Formats: sequence, structure tokens, C-alpha cells
Amino acid sequence: MKNSIQLSQKSTINAFLLFFIIHTAQIGVGIHGFQRIIYQDAKHDAWISVLLAGIATHIIAFIMIKTLEMYSSNDLYGIHQDVFGKWIGNFFNIIYILYCSAAFFSVLRNYIEVVQTWVFPNVNTWFLAATLLLIVMYTFTGGLRVIVGVSFFSLILSIWLLPMLVYPLKFMEPRSLLPILEADMSGILKGVQSMTFTIIGFEVLNVIYPFIKDKNNVRKYVHLGLLATTFIYVSVMLVSITYFSGDLLTKTIWATLSLFSIIKLPFVERFEYIAVCFWMLIILPNLCLYVWAAYRGTIRLVNVNATKFVWIFSLSIFIASLVVKNRTQINMVNNYFGQVAFYVIFVYPIFLYVVAVVKRKFKSHKEQIE
Amino acid sequence: MKKYRSYILYLLLLISLVGCAEKKLLEKVGLTTLIGYDLGNEDNVKTTAVVRQVNTEFQSQVAIITSENETSQGTRTKINRRSSKKIMAGQLRGVLFGEELARKGVGHYVDTLLKHSEMSGSVLLAVVEGQSKSLLEFEYPDIDDIGDHIYKLLEQNIKGEQMISSTLHEVGHDYYSPGRDIAMPILKKDKELIEISGVALFKNGEMVGKLSAKDSFYVKLIRDNYNTGKLEMMIKGDELPSSLMKNPSDRIDLVFDPIKTKKELKLVNQATPEFDLQINVKARLMEIKPYIDVGKPKNVAKLEKAIGKSLSEELSRVIALSQEADSDVFGFGEYYRSTVRHSDLTQEKWHGLYKEMKVNVHVDFTLLRSGIME
Repeated sequence: MKNSIQLSQKSTINAFLLFFIIHTAQIGVGIHGFQRIIYQDAKHDAWISVLLAGIATHIIAFIMIKTLEMYSSNDLYGIHQDVFGKWIGNFFNIIYILYCSAAFFSVLRNYIEVVQTWVFPNVNTWFLAATLLLIVMYTFTGGLRVIVGVSFFSLILSIWLLPMLVYPLKFMEPRSLLPILEADMSGILKGVQSMTFTIIGFEVLNVIYPFIKDKNNVRKYVHLGLLATTFIYVSVMLVSITYFSGDLLTKTIWATLSLFSIIKLPFVERFEYIAVCFWMLIILPNLCLYVWAAYRGTIRLVNVNATKFVWIFSLSIFIASLVVKNRTQINMVNNYFGQVAFYVIFVYPIFLYVVAVVKRKFKSHKEQIE
Repeated sequence: MKKYRSYILYLLLLISLVGCAEKKLLEKVGLTTLIGYDLGNEDNVKTTAVVRQVNTEFQSQVAIITSENETSQGTRTKINRRSSKKIMAGQLRGVLFGEELARKGVGHYVDTLLKHSEMSGSVLLAVVEGQSKSLLEFEYPDIDDIGDHIYKLLEQNIKGEQMISSTLHEVGHDYYSPGRDIAMPILKKDKELIEISGVALFKNGEMVGKLSAKDSFYVKLIRDNYNTGKLEMMIKGDELPSSLMKNPSDRIDLVFDPIKTKKELKLVNQATPEFDLQINVKARLMEIKPYIDVGKPKNVAKLEKAIGKSLSEELSRVIALSQEADSDVFGFGEYYRSTVRHSDLTQEKWHGLYKEMKVNVHVDFTLLRSGIME
């Protein structure tokens, strides 16, 4: 392949780091309040939807890796150019870059909204956006290895938040889960689709694949990362359903943070304030990976250096974050983005794989004839 | 230049991040520890706030401020106009409702409290017999900080399992649950003390009845599992053969504390609906009057049976009382919803069934020990 990526040993990363990358890319702002969205579709069987969505990510990741393996060392952008030709390929690349930017934007805007509602109602959006963007720019200019380092530490430093779910267990009522499978299949499947916004992030694999040193281990660590995410989502969902009663859950915008609000430690009475602030560390890899993925695509289209790119990118995101002002608009953005993401992440990879296989068959057939 | 770029970024962050948010210095704010809501004139709400102010000399004062307005949050601005320090609600420990207001409905207030990110889910809620304003404004000789006192009073009794728990989270949970109603402790001013006088029963967020403080034990016995707590009860004399007693009397009073209870609920008939409630109580005898020799296994067995029987009667009585008030504080409806497939239970639908509900109570009482002397 003429456009495949050749890298020196120094700029590659070990496959086991993929576990951290995939996991931290998936967990971000969605986990704050995915419960009520799924609950509206699947009622108290929402955890089944979450579980099914988790399984779906495994299947899609499997197909993604299959596609990537066909082009030993190339990313999605290169594959597009190879499969669809230069013009159509680049058109798809632009869509993918826009998708990454939209994902970046929605993570940023949602987090700002959470900070404003829970902790600092008087701090302006532009200020929070600028601060976060500066940190992201700083990390981004460090290169991929720094971004991967951030993912690693993001998980290591925030893993202690998970055991905090034990506190709400005191108020749980396991019978809220019964009767199992009361919701009909269409409701549960609709719940799976609504999970998209929360569970995406693992598509970064499409871009990071050529940077992996030992490619034969990719499969193992990607699936482990996905498994860890699914485990966390299902357990958070189970705790939420048993902790809140149905109508209360549909009214709670950020159920996970409300879960934290019952925690009372001797030295911290309002734990959710810490959780909200600490969450910056959890969304940082999210943001960095998306801006990096967008950058990898952009350099295929135009000749631009990293610093220039990140300034332009940040500036446009900054302006966009000022346009979206209130809760209803944010919800609308989330909804639209979730719907688009569903097709980009869950439908498109299957299509791409089929096309790539057909094309390869066709090509080898032609070569045989010649 | 490139080398220093990161440092410049750091510096920028440092400068811009300091002092951007609104400061809330302890000496400059008044911490509301308790709020009482009463019904004012013309559907207004009268709010009484217990505000604790910390001075630079580390002495804290407690001020009680009352104001009346159309909305509960509106009263807050009014209270601010009467206070030298900014009123903050982050340290709120308790919310009291005057009985009159509770009978009109607390749903709106629960909703507003839940909405506020400032409120913690562990705020305790209670109903006040009469007006909460008069309860809070009275100068009790033995109580320094009434806000703290009421919170500790409730918390201590809830932790000791003498009273049903009524944190904001639990009340919100029950309020939005189709098959369960709110229950809150009732507070009462008794001369120069404040005491918990009973349990308020709600239906759709409106107070519809009350149970005595003693009955709250039975409510808790059906709602939750017990680990501590204490109960004084009376058995009718003719339920025990008089041969057990040295001086036969027509009533036996005894006190026990359950070490462990286990309950089992079964829906036997969906149409009526009819439940079987089986409760196993393992307890320790604290006091019994008149004297019964509990050293003999035969006596113990008879006593256990008699206690079990009286307990089931009492439980049935409390259930009947709540049914009369049409308030399902036990969560039978929730059990019904989780057992019957596609029940589509709503509050109205359940209250229709609840009146006709039958519960067959059966208590198995086991006496573990009776102190260090026989």
C-alpha cells in the first residue's frame, strides 16, 4: 500500500497500553447521566440494554481489527483512500474528522455544564472552555506518547471512584430489578441504541492501530478494555436502578453524581463536589484522543503542522462552545450526535469491512487474469 | 521560545485559575442547618431558617429567621435581606414541615430540594405537630443549637432503629415510586424538650394520618430488617397458661430487643391482592413483669408462642390502620409491581387495590437469651 504509515521504533507504543486507551476513551461524560436515557427506553431492564451494548462493542471492535489487519500498518484514513479512491475516500475522511471534532465538542460542553450545575454556577462557559482547551493543547503538543501516558494515569488515579459505589448500596432495593425482561425486545434494543453516546470512544483504535508495536496482541487488550468498560457501566446501572425508584431516575439528569451525593465521609461531607472536579482527569484522555484522531486525518488532506492545527481546532471548538448556551441545546446536541455516532460507529465499520473484502477479492482476481 | 512555551502555559493557568469562582468564606456566610416550612396566609409558604454564623473568634451564634413568600426559594432571598451574612444551604441537615403544610402536600418541596445540587441526599425530613416556627423559635433552656439538636435527635433514633429513616433520598424515592408512600417522623414540643411523637403517613405526598411512636417499630419491622432497636409490648394474660406465673395477672409487660429479624413476603393472590408475611424475630429479653421463670425450656416455648401471636396481632393492627388512611408506607405495592408481570402499576391503580389488600401475618419469635441472671 502506497499510503501506509511507516514509523520508527521510538514512536510506537506497547499493545498492553491499548487497554488503558480504549477504556479511558470510552468512559467520559456519558457515565454521569446515561441511566435515565436508557431507563426511558427499557425501564428496569435497562441493565440488559447496557450489557447488550457492551457485547455490540466487542463485535464491532472485532470487525474493526479485521479490517485493519488487512492493511498491516495503516489507519482508517489511509484505508478510506485505498478502498474508495482519492476523492470519495477523502470525503469519508472529512466526515470522520468532523465526527471526532463533534465528539470532542460534546464531551467538553457536557463537562462544562456539569461543573456549572454542581459546583460553580457563576463561572462563565468561556472561561472553563478556555482552561480545558489549554490543558488539552498542552497535552496534545506532547505527542501520542504523552497522550497515552495521560490515559494510563487517568485510569490509575481514578480507579478508587469505583468502590465508592458501595455507599449507595445501603439504600438499595434489589426487588426494583424484578420482574426481569418485563420490557419488550424493541424497548431493550432502543436502549442499546441510546447507549451509543456513552459507550463510544473505542473507535480511536481505527487511528491508533499503526502505532502499536506488537500487533498480534492488539486483539487481547482491546477486548479486555471493552470488557472493563462494560463491567463498569453494567454495575453503575444496576446500582442506579436499585437506588432510585423509577420515576425518580427519569428525573435525575446526572444519576451517577446523585449517587455520589449520599456519600458522607468524616472529612468530606459533600463528596460529589470532589467527584465532579476529579472528573476532569477522566475526560482529559477523551479530549486528547479525539483531537489527536482529528489531527491524524487532517494531515492526510492538507499539509499542516501539529501546533497550527491544534490552535485552529481549539479556537473553533471554543467559539462553538459559546454558541450552545443552555440545557435544552446541550440535550439536543447530545441527541443528534448520539444518532450520528450510532451510524458512524456501529453500522459503518461493517459496511467498510464488506467493501474492503470485496475489493480485495476483485483485485486479486484481476491480478490473476493479468 | 519553544522551550519556554509550556512554562508560559503553566503560568497562564496559575494566574487565571486563582480567584475565578465566587468565594464563600466561612466568616462571611451563614450556614443554614435547619429549615422549617409552614403554611402562611393565602397559600404562601412561611420559612423559618436556623442559621449558624461563625465568628472570627471561633464562637458560633445561632439565629432564627422567619419570612413568608410565595415560593420556598423566594423566602430565601427574603431571609438574606434580614441577615448580615450570606445564607448558604450546603450544610443543611434537616427540613421540617408544619402539619398543616404536610396535609396540603410536601411533594413540591421534596421536588425542589432534590433539584438543588447544594442539597445532600442525606438531609433528614420530618413533620412537626403544629407549626414548625413555634417549635424552632422557642428558647429551650438546655439546647444551644436547635438545628444541630433536632438533626442529632432524629439521626440518633434512626441509627438506633427506633424510628423509620426519612432522608431526602428515601423520601424522594418513595414519592416517585408507584407502590410505596412516604413516611416521616413527627416531632413535638413537649414543654422544654422536643420529642419524636409518632410517624406521619402520606399518600401521594399528602399527609393523611399518623401512627404512634411505638407503632413505628412495627412499620420498620415490615419495611426493613432489624439489627438493633428495642420494643416494649404487652401480652394479654389469658394467652399464657396461668401455671407459668407465680401470681397470675391479666397482662404481662415485657421488653425485648430484636437481634435479628428476617422477613419473607409472598403474594398468594394477585386479584385481591393477598400477601403472606412471615417474620422471624430473634430477640433478647430485657424485662418481664410479672416474673416468669424463663430457665425452663417449656416455659420459654410457651412464652415465645404468645409473643409471636401478640406481635402478629399488632402488625395486623398497624397494617389495618395504614390501610384505613390509604397510605402504603410498607411498600407492598412495590412488591406487587416486582412480582406481577406487566402490572403497569401506577399510584392510583395501587391505591385502588391497597384498600382491599389482605395480609396474613405470621411471626416466629425465638428467645435467644435473657440477660446474665435467670
